[in-house]
Parts: sequence; C-alpha cells; structure tokens
Amino acid sequence: MNELSRRHFLRILAASLGSLGGIYLSGCLNQDKLLLKSLPSDKISPTSTSAPPTETEPPTSVPEDTPAPSPTMTYPDLTVARHGDPEVMVRKAVEALGGMKRFVKSGDEVIVKPNICVSYYNYKYAATTNPWVVAAVVKLALEAGAKRVRVLDFPFGGSAEQAYNVSGIKSEVQKAGGKMVVMANLKYVETAIPQGQDLKSCRIYDDVLKADVLINVPIAKHHGLARLTLAMKNMMGVIYDRPMMHANLGQRLADLNSRVKSSLVVVDAVRMLMNHGPAGGNLSDVKKADTIIVSPDIVAADSYAATLFGLQPNDLSYIKKGANMGLGVKNLDQLKIEEINLG
Amino acid sequence: MANKSEKPRSGLSPEQWLKLRKYSQVLFMILFLVFFLWSRREFYLYPADGTSIKQKLINLPLQLDPLVMLAQVIASRTILAGSLLALITVILTLIFGRVWCGWFCPLGTLLDWFPIRSWKKKEPQIPEWLRGIKYILLLVILFAAVLSNLSLLFFDPITVFYRTLTAVIWPALDQIVTGIEMALYRVPLLQPVIGGFDSLIRPSIFPSRPVFYRFGGLFLGFFLSIFALNALAPRFWCRYLCPLGGMLGFLGKFSLIQCEIAEACTLCGSCFSECPTGAIQTNEVVFCDPGECTMCMACAEDCPGGAISYPARIAKVIQQPYDIERRKMLISLGTAALGVGLLESNLVSDIRSPKQIRPPGVINDQLLSTCIRCGECSTVCPTNAIQLAVTEAGVEGFWTPILVPRIGYCDYSCHACGQVCPVEAIPPLSLEEKRKQVIGKAHIDQNRCLPWAEGEHCIVCEEMCPIPEKAIYLEETQVITSEGEEITIQRPVVIHNLCTGCGICENKCPVSGEAAIQIRLHQRHFRNSKF
Repeated sequence: MNELSRRHFLRILAASLGSLGGIYLSGCLNQDKLLLKSLPSDKISPTSTSAPPTETEPPTSVPEDTPAPSPTMTYPDLTVARHGDPEVMVRKAVEALGGMKRFVKSGDEVIVKPNICVSYYNYKYAATTNPWVVAAVVKLALEAGAKRVRVLDFPFGGSAEQAYNVSGIKSEVQKAGGKMVVMANLKYVETAIPQGQDLKSCRIYDDVLKADVLINVPIAKHHGLARLTLAMKNMMGVIYDRPMMHANLGQRLADLNSRVKSSLVVVDAVRMLMNHGPAGGNLSDVKKADTIIVSPDIVAADSYAATLFGLQPNDLSYIKKGANMGLGVKNLDQLKIEEINLG
Repeated sequence: MANKSEKPRSGLSPEQWLKLRKYSQVLFMILFLVFFLWSRREFYLYPADGTSIKQKLINLPLQLDPLVMLAQVIASRTILAGSLLALITVILTLIFGRVWCGWFCPLGTLLDWFPIRSWKKKEPQIPEWLRGIKYILLLVILFAAVLSNLSLLFFDPITVFYRTLTAVIWPALDQIVTGIEMALYRVPLLQPVIGGFDSLIRPSIFPSRPVFYRFGGLFLGFFLSIFALNALAPRFWCRYLCPLGGMLGFLGKFSLIQCEIAEACTLCGSCFSECPTGAIQTNEVVFCDPGECTMCMACAEDCPGGAISYPARIAKVIQQPYDIERRKMLISLGTAALGVGLLESNLVSDIRSPKQIRPPGVINDQLLSTCIRCGECSTVCPTNAIQLAVTEAGVEGFWTPILVPRIGYCDYSCHACGQVCPVEAIPPLSLEEKRKQVIGKAHIDQNRCLPWAEGEHCIVCEEMCPIPEKAIYLEETQVITSEGEEITIQRPVVIHNLCTGCGICENKCPVSGEAAIQIRLHQRHFRNSKF
C-alpha cells in the first residue's frame, strides 16, 4: 500500500514536472520568436515602445544633416515654458506641442519614468524629479484617455518604496490618479538592441518595453562622468546591469535609447542640481530655474537642457552619439522651438 | 486563558483543552511571523519619530523572553523599560507553570509539528541526569553575564528561531518562489498573472531583490540538529538543552497550578508515553515534575481513569536529582569564569579583523555586553548589509552584527537597525545623527581600480557616494591607452575626512570579485578597543 502510493505520487510528480518543463520550453521558444520578430524593423515593430505614429507628427527623427528645419509642420519640435507653477508650465508646454492626445490615445497603457535615483532627500535637493511635474504628466495622460498610468524607477541608493515616499512623488502621483509601481526583479528580460553599435543586448524592464506610451520625465542635473544627467541617461533606470554602461557611456546610452524609445520627454528644470550630482545633498548646489522643456525628440530635449548649464550639445557624448544614430536632432538652429513665458 | 487550568471536568473537557493548546500554538506561530515580517519593513518605510506606540511594540517577542532580558540587564548593567515586559512571562509561569514552552514558544511548536520518529523500534534510554544540562547552560549564561559576556545567548530559543528565519528559511523560501515565478513568467499567457502575484508578495512579504546571508549552512545546521535530536526523544531540546526552558522550569517548580496525579491512578502507564517531555515519572509513586511539565495536557486526555487534574494550590517544591543544586552552581560558575577569562585573555580570541565594521553608532566593547545575538538588525537591514559575524569578531563576538559592504551598503536614508535593536546595543540614533556616524573608511586599490590600473572610464564610486560634498574626488589626468592614444581620464580619490564608510562604493564597484574600493576599520576604532 505504502509503496503503491509512493509510486503513484512519483508518477504524478513526473507528469507535472514534465508538463511544467513543456510550458517552460514553449515559453522560451516564444520569447525567441518575439526577439526575432522585433529584430528586422524596430522602428515600426508592434512591440516597439515608440509613440504610435500619427499623421501630424513632425519628422523629428530625420537625420541631422537635413538642410532645413521643417517649417511646414504646425507643431513646434520643442517647447519651453518658464517662470510658472510646475503644473501650469507642463500643461502649457504640452499644449503648445499639440496636446497630450497627440501622444496618448484612449485606452493606452502609459508608463512615466521620472528620475528617482536615491531615497536620501526630498525634491528640494533636486536629485529627484519635481513631484508636481510628474503629477502633471500623469494628469495629462489620464485626461487624454490613458487606461492606466504607472510611474516607476529603480533607485541606486535606498529602496524604491522609500525613495517614492521621501521624494514626495508618491503622494502627488497618487493624488493625480497614477500608480506607483515597485519594479519587479523577474520582469527584466534579455532584449536585443538591433541598432546597437556597442550594446547589442541587455536586460530591460518588460513593462516599459510593452507599454503603449513611455513618457520620460528626467530632472536636469550634474553628473561626474556624463557631465549632466538628462533624458537619455534617465533610461538607465529601466535596465538591470547599470555599472557596465559606464565603460562607454555615450555610445551605450544612445544604443539603449534606440531600443527603449521615449514617446515624449518632459525635462524638469524647475530646480537644477549644478554640482555634486547625481545624488546631491547640498541646497547650495541647487539652482531654481523654473523651466520645463517638452519634446518628442529626446536628443533635442537634452540638447536644449544642456544649454541651461552653459554647455553645448556637443559637450555631452551621449547627445553626439544619439544624433549620429538618428535618434533626434542636436542642432538647436534646426529646431522649431516655442518659448512660453508665464512669468 | 485565565481559567484554563481549572479542573477539566468543571469547564472544558481534556480533548477541548488539547485542541485549544494546538490553536494557541498556531496563533502564536502566526504572531511571531507577523512580527518578523512587520519588523522588516516598519523602520525603513516610516523612520522613527519616537512617538509611535506601534514601533515600540515591534520587539515584543524578544522582550517577552525572560532569559534574554535578564542576562542582558545583568551584563549591560542597565534596565530598559522594554525589558520589564519579560516579567509578564515570569508571572505567567509562576501561575501556570511552563505554559510558554507548551503553548507559545515558536521553536517548541515547530518541534511538536515535526516529530522525527526514532528509527529504532525502542526509544533509546536517555539518562535522567541529562536534564541537568539545561540548568547548567542557564547558570553559565547568567554567570557569564555577570562578567559582561553574552556569547552563549545564541542558545536562546527565540533568538535561534528569528536568526534562522532571517538567515536561512526566508531567503530559501524566496529563492523557491522566485524560481517558480521566473519559470512561469516565460509563458506569455501567464505574464499578467505572475506579474500581479509578484507585486502582491513583494516587497511586503519577500524582498524585491534577492537577499543573501553568509554561512546560511551553519545556521541551518544548528537548527536542523535541534530537530534531529527529536529522533532520540520528543522535544529533546526542550527537555535537556533549552536554557530558557531551564529558567522557566525552575520558576515552574513554584507555580500555583500544577499537574496532579490522584490516587485513583491505576499505573496503566498511558501518560508515560504520551507526555512529550517525559515529565511524568515514577519512583515508588507516580508524579509529574512541574519543572519539566509544559502544561500540554496530553496526559489528562489520555488517562482512562481520569486521575489527572490541574488544581490551583501552593504545592511543596520537590527537588529532583537533576535540578539545580550546589554542585551544578559550582560547575557553572567555574565554566563561566574560565570561559570568559580565556576569551578576555585573548588565548582563543581573534585579533580584530579590519573588516569588523559595526552598524552605525556602535561602540564595540559595549556591543559585546549588550547584544543578545537575536539578529533583528540583520532582519531589518533593507540592503542586506548587516550580516552575523562568524570569524570577524572573534569567538566572543560570534553572531554579533557586522556590515559586509560587498553584500550591502549602509543606506544613507535608513536608521532601522538602531531603531529595532531591542536592547539598544545599536544606539537608536535619529537619521540626522546616524548620517554623521563614521563606521569605517574607504580605501582604493589602485592596482585593480579600472581608471587607475587599466585607464578605463569608471566613476561609479563617486556617482554613488551619498555624502553631499562627495567623499570621492575625481582627479583628471592624461593617460596613454594601449592603442597609443592620449585620453583624459578621471581617477577616484577618497577624501578621508569626509568618508563615513557607508560602503555603497564598495558595494557598487564594477570590478569583479573583491571590490577595488573597500571599507576598512577607521584607525580610531583600534584605539578605543581593547586590542
């Protein structure tokens, strides 16, 4: 009796393990297929995270050596709002760009990626994105009909939950109707980077890859190696192994951004961290600039933001490499920029 | 519970009492686990403000342990308000006997749940004098405490339970759950379900990134050997070894309510085999030793004649041969004095390792005479930095907390260890004060550091440094690469007087294996210590 039941048990165990294995293998196969599928045409692949192209979208992704800007388009390439309340600045700047409906369609899954790099200080220290800027983006996306707006980042210092609280972002996002998500370890999937020149693949956060719209909301601040951390560098937050990026930071950031594309970039320069970045900690390093830069072109947004620090786009290696790869336009003269002064 | 020890006939039947006890064991096991999970998150999510009653209650399970609290009070020569909570258990024992062991103790409950039946037909005969070991252990702990030594507290059952839970059981469960999740997540159809499940259990029950505790095998081995001994006799640990059981057994001798076997007893012997601690014995008459009885009431349920009852009265204390007597006192005193003396005289103690980095605010000598080896600090540390010392702190400091920066760093926005420590061995500093504590200093190994040795770009340590003014400075130099190209490179240099030794630089250093920047004890620590 005893032996019989043991055998029976083993049989069940073997059967269930076998089926589990089968499911697992089929999963692996599927994954590979997905990878293969996204290999040839990244720009318009259905799994790509780039904004759904609309008829009115200006050709911001044209190579930089196009002779003239595109004056025929109705929308500017980049808008800058100054000297207003953070939420008002975001609203005005996005409005001038054609409104959030241009980027977020009804029923879209939206992910907002602020910079919440450490859990040490509140937003006044300018190490993390301004909570009201993040909340304004969440509100705009929901108003445009987004099904769900998730806000996430993975801090390098301290835990995510703590950083969400301390930065002040959690309470504002929740008030705005968004959802703060702690990034799950198991959702980093090895992803090919077809256009990558140095970085050919890395582990990227699955939800970010699958989202319909990715809105990149960095804070403009100082960084020891990159000089500044802006929108392109903000994407470091969605990959698993970050230290390896530093060996060839400029090119690898450009490579990463060729795969994880921001549908819209909102650079928070309400407060800028001028020194001792990225973690900060000194209020004397913080400069209040009351500026918001919005653009669907990540290279353009970073290029403009660099000028706020008195730097030129060419001073930052990732802007140069990004422009070379055709991720956007770094030459500010070629861009149609609309400045809104609310002061 | 107030009238639980009335005569069974008057209220509940013996079967009902037995059931009630099993419910109590389940309930308290759940409570112990709830306290464990709660303590992991409370202090780093909600930094202490000194007013929250909730945060003051977080150590209740350890504060109810009279052995740990008494030894700690003796060794540290200070009484904390929380330590007085142990009196609850003392009073409970003086009324009801060793109910702690039978009804509440999580380790005892586990031993009940996992009885290991003897592989031999007949249970081995264990000499009765072995019961004296727990009293000797108890006395050695208390005598050593007088000499300011608490090393043997790692034998306390509550600390054994929590330490093993933290260092082995929880990480192992986490690994198993993670493995299953990872496998199922590869199935596209299941992804939303698994993702949802994952966000439910993390970080509330399991950590969001895997945790790692060194020497898990050692903790597990110790824990499993307690279980293996169950094969020799049920609750072998509780009968013969547990020092807390010894203390409660000593108090139980004087308890108001005791198991009594009436003259109606027919000597059928069924209670002999039922009793999990072998408390019912016979020499001429059948009797139950209240020092061994855990009030489990298994005997009353089984007694065919109904001869067993639990009356409340002041009974005469009967000394058993294995109980505390003068010879045991002398042996214990000698052992404690000799043991502590050997440790102090540095014969068996280690020279202090430069890696013996203590949690913030700790004064090393005070730590050894206050730390109860419970491992709570290591449970709550959100970055997994606090580990338990095995060789780093010498024999004396076995199982005391140290920081291992390569595993985790001291988070600049966390002061959980000091807040959770039930005995203030790690001082309860405010976050502002904690940020100023110097626990060590960073040192760069220029032979392995990427910019120094290889001429490669890397500024990770500088980037990570949480000190507002940055305790790492980037020095710009021209170097010639292997291709003969001259490039500008930034090399990290530690600014010694700004560094607090938090260890995030060592933790994140991308060099494989040992980091190229490491935290070592600050010179000052050596001068303060006795070595």
